[in-house]
Amino acid sequence: MSTRWRFYLVGFLLLMAIDTAAQLCFKLAATHAAPFAVDPGWLLRVLREPWVYGAIAGYLGAFVTYMTLLKHAPVGPAFAASHLQVVSVMAASAWLFGERLAPLQLVGATLIVLGILVLARAEDEVAQTTAGHAR
Amino acid sequence: MPPISFALWLLVLVFDTGGQLAFKAASGVPGEGLDHWRAMAVRPWLWLGIAAFACEFVTWLAFLSVVPLAEGVLLSCLNMAAVMLGGRWLFGERLTARRLLGVALITLGVVLVGVG
Repeated sequence: MSTRWRFYLVGFLLLMAIDTAAQLCFKLAATHAAPFAVDPGWLLRVLREPWVYGAIAGYLGAFVTYMTLLKHAPVGPAFAASHLQVVSVMAASAWLFGERLAPLQLVGATLIVLGILVLARAEDEVAQTTAGHAR
Repeated sequence: MPPISFALWLLVLVFDTGGQLAFKAASGVPGEGLDHWRAMAVRPWLWLGIAAFACEFVTWLAFLSVVPLAEGVLLSCLNMAAVMLGGRWLFGERLTARRLLGVALITLGVVLVGVG
């Protein structure tokens, strides 16, 4: 496995883990602060939710990871690949909130993973034709 | 979709795409590790991206309060095409057949997860 491959693999898996934790915190904060209204009361309810600070911490960690990835990866494919968190958020929601998974959702999750594998192959192809410059 | 949900969705799209492109512009400066972060901090792109990110944080939270998480994720998948096109337009990123196929599969996957 090349260095660039290991960098992408570790980077995107780390990003997925941190992003998933942040999204779960987001959902818990939004649920507890409902109903939504454009007023200071709603904002105060959100700020009193401990979960929102978990989401902020997760966002900071994901930020550092993502900026490090972006230094080398093109933004289009990198942003698409960051949607791997949809699969992990879905799995975590089923496990933690008891949300039921439809067969179509499992097909969708498979397509996302497949798409990321295709993007990984695409990076090999681009690296070969442009002598290592990720564009 | 109620007007408030639609407006919030549109704002999420604008902030998300603009933020991604600003972050890519920021990350292009030379330097490694802390030097890289110092170089990014004295240019406007990182701060512009963070501003977009902060706006997205609030709009995304508001959006999730009015729609279920799955539907929110479904509606935000248009952002992928927008970022891909922005990357080509601003940074000359190549739209190869494999990249388009990969992004199309991911978009379809996100849609199926959303409607499933």
